[in-house]
Amino acid sequence: MTEPRASAFITRNVLFALVGGGLGGILFMFFLIEFDHFTSTNQFCTTCHSMTFAETSYQQSVHYNSPSGVRASCGDCHVSEGIIMATYDHAVGIKDLFKQLFGADYNDPVINLLHLPDAAFASRDWFRRRDSATCRRCHLQEAIQGTRVHTAAIHQEETDGKSCVDCHFNLVHRPVPERSTFKREAWNAMVEQEFGLEPGSAEQLLAAGRRPAGERPPAAAAPAHGVGNGQQQAGLEP
Amino acid sequence: MRCPVRHLRLPIFLLGALLLLVATAGQAAKVALDPSHWGLPEGDACVSCHEKASPGLARQWHDSAHKTAGVNCLDCHRAEPRDRDAMQHEGQIIATIVSPKDCGRCHETEYREQAGSVHAEAYAIIADRIPALAHNVTGAAMQATGCDQCHGSVVQIRGDGTLDPATWPNSGIGRVNPDGSKGSCSSCHGRHQFSKAQAREPEACVRCHSGPDSPDKEVFEASKHGMIYAAQKEQMNLRSDRWIAGQDYTAAPTCVTCHMGGAGNLPSTHDVGMRNVWSLNTPVSRRQFLVVLEDDSKLELPADQPPPRRGAEIARPDGTLAKVKAVAAPERRRQAMNAVCLECHAKSFTESFMRQFDSVVELYNGKFGEPAAAIMADLYEHGLLTPLPFDEPLEFIYWELWHDEGARARHGASMASPNHAWWEGMYLVGRNFYTRFLPAARAAAGDQAAELVDARLQDGDHHAWLGRPDQANPILGYMPPAVVLEPAAASAEAVPLAASTATEERDD
Repeated sequence: MTEPRASAFITRNVLFALVGGGLGGILFMFFLIEFDHFTSTNQFCTTCHSMTFAETSYQQSVHYNSPSGVRASCGDCHVSEGIIMATYDHAVGIKDLFKQLFGADYNDPVINLLHLPDAAFASRDWFRRRDSATCRRCHLQEAIQGTRVHTAAIHQEETDGKSCVDCHFNLVHRPVPERSTFKREAWNAMVEQEFGLEPGSAEQLLAAGRRPAGERPPAAAAPAHGVGNGQQQAGLEP
Repeated sequence: MRCPVRHLRLPIFLLGALLLLVATAGQAAKVALDPSHWGLPEGDACVSCHEKASPGLARQWHDSAHKTAGVNCLDCHRAEPRDRDAMQHEGQIIATIVSPKDCGRCHETEYREQAGSVHAEAYAIIADRIPALAHNVTGAAMQATGCDQCHGSVVQIRGDGTLDPATWPNSGIGRVNPDGSKGSCSSCHGRHQFSKAQAREPEACVRCHSGPDSPDKEVFEASKHGMIYAAQKEQMNLRSDRWIAGQDYTAAPTCVTCHMGGAGNLPSTHDVGMRNVWSLNTPVSRRQFLVVLEDDSKLELPADQPPPRRGAEIARPDGTLAKVKAVAAPERRRQAMNAVCLECHAKSFTESFMRQFDSVVELYNGKFGEPAAAIMADLYEHGLLTPLPFDEPLEFIYWELWHDEGARARHGASMASPNHAWWEGMYLVGRNFYTRFLPAARAAAGDQAAELVDARLQDGDHHAWLGRPDQANPILGYMPPAVVLEPAAASAEAVPLAASTATEERDD
């Protein structure tokens, strides 16, 4: 007597819904995979002009031009592995899109550089929370030998409780001090000097989030900063 | 006989105070602090990694007295987050640069003594001279690798927290550190071993006290002191904890012995210029007061001016003001230097040697330094030279006259190297003065040469010899006819000079 009941439950419509939903779910998974993949590419990230500053220094780093030929893309480092975490990271990342559209004028190299330390601190926090998981996609600790005899020993004996990013930062983008020793006044003074701004003006620009029309150079001429710092980053101590 | 002490009438009871000030001990002061001030437990972790990352410096530290005493990396390198050059490193807030102020956390006496010394002020003293040679004549790149490596850099921290490579690495002894202190202990005390023996050797000074302007390495090596040091180095007891001349070693003096070391009752000091009477690296040498300021830093002032009053406010080389605490007259400083000599030499020997030295300085001043300086001042004053330095050949000639050859002569005399006093020194001063400086100065003065140049040579009888052109000439082999009376010599008149000399020698 139970059979008819079951067959009564799996009606045509239910069958359609299950198959349709299942197929739709699979398609959605494929979509997410493709979507996560696409939104992790350098091309996608740099569709926002503000990201071209980060791109300039990245292109001078070893992560762009490595001796082995392996090139890490934006997403390789900044988006977690696996469809769930990758989707989550992208969902959280939507806030960056909002800030790009409605926040400060990140396309202006001055404003961008003034905000860079906050971005760096947030990024380092993210790497720490993930235990530098994206680093370890390529850099397997068991395989780290280094060119000096002691590199392997250090990575085997001195890394208990440490994550890659605890020692290795300022590798790819423009160097920013660690948060505990960061000095906003010194950073602002550097920006003012680099762009020939009035001393003291950086603080106001940081608060205002944009420069008055006319003071800001056309976007095409913008990617001034980042250039010339790649070597320093590459050679910087962790 | 005049008693030299009469010159000490100045406000110079205070000199006693000065001696008290430095009379801490007859040796480098031992750290007086309780060991609880060092040995931070977090510092132990540094070593394990640095033995692999930088095994050389870790090894040096392992061999150091610091390690034996329990002083680790973090004790010296720790920093406060607010420090301009602080950085986070493996969970600790540290700074790369360990400044004299940092060393002074334990080595209080040495920190106090070196503050304001000619060493600590080595950058401030020449800061306004640097652009002329380092930037104009050559290029700014030379400042980091040349001037600043001895005189010290003004260390710049970039906005991103890194040390500006235009100013770092640097162990110049007058380095202006991010914490505002001046100097660099590692200029003489090689890190990270900080060996006493290494700092006591003359080689500790060679990096800067060599070359054309202050060839003290060469001067020392060419002196009797250097000769004996080379032969008896193993008797120098360089590793001894206490190192007082005459007690712990007698073989020979090194740079440290005379300029810093303890000798008899004379205390050691990290003010390397304290025992120096004269300024020797100036166009004209001056006897100098040593002025002790309220914060125990020091300053030198020319003794041909009245000494500053106690409590008066005077400007340091960097422009900051400070109140005068005590003044030491040049004679007092000489007494201190002589106290070292007396450990090995008799009083009359010592004083006569100093008389020989002072005579050379006075000769240089009166015959060359003062006239040359006056001629240059007049040429600038009359617009016959542009104020811009080194755009005219005469300015190089004048610079080398006092800065290279003149300083060499004076240093040679001060430390008893006959070669440097004479052939490398005063002989070149004389040759330069008569054959390059005066002709170039006359050319620059043009119509006014007699008034602006030659008039300066009339003071005293230094240059009177030029007015006796008929003097006998044995050194260059020409004897004027008036002096040679035999008729035989007259027939040799047509014979070329060299041949004539040769003939005479054969005849002899």
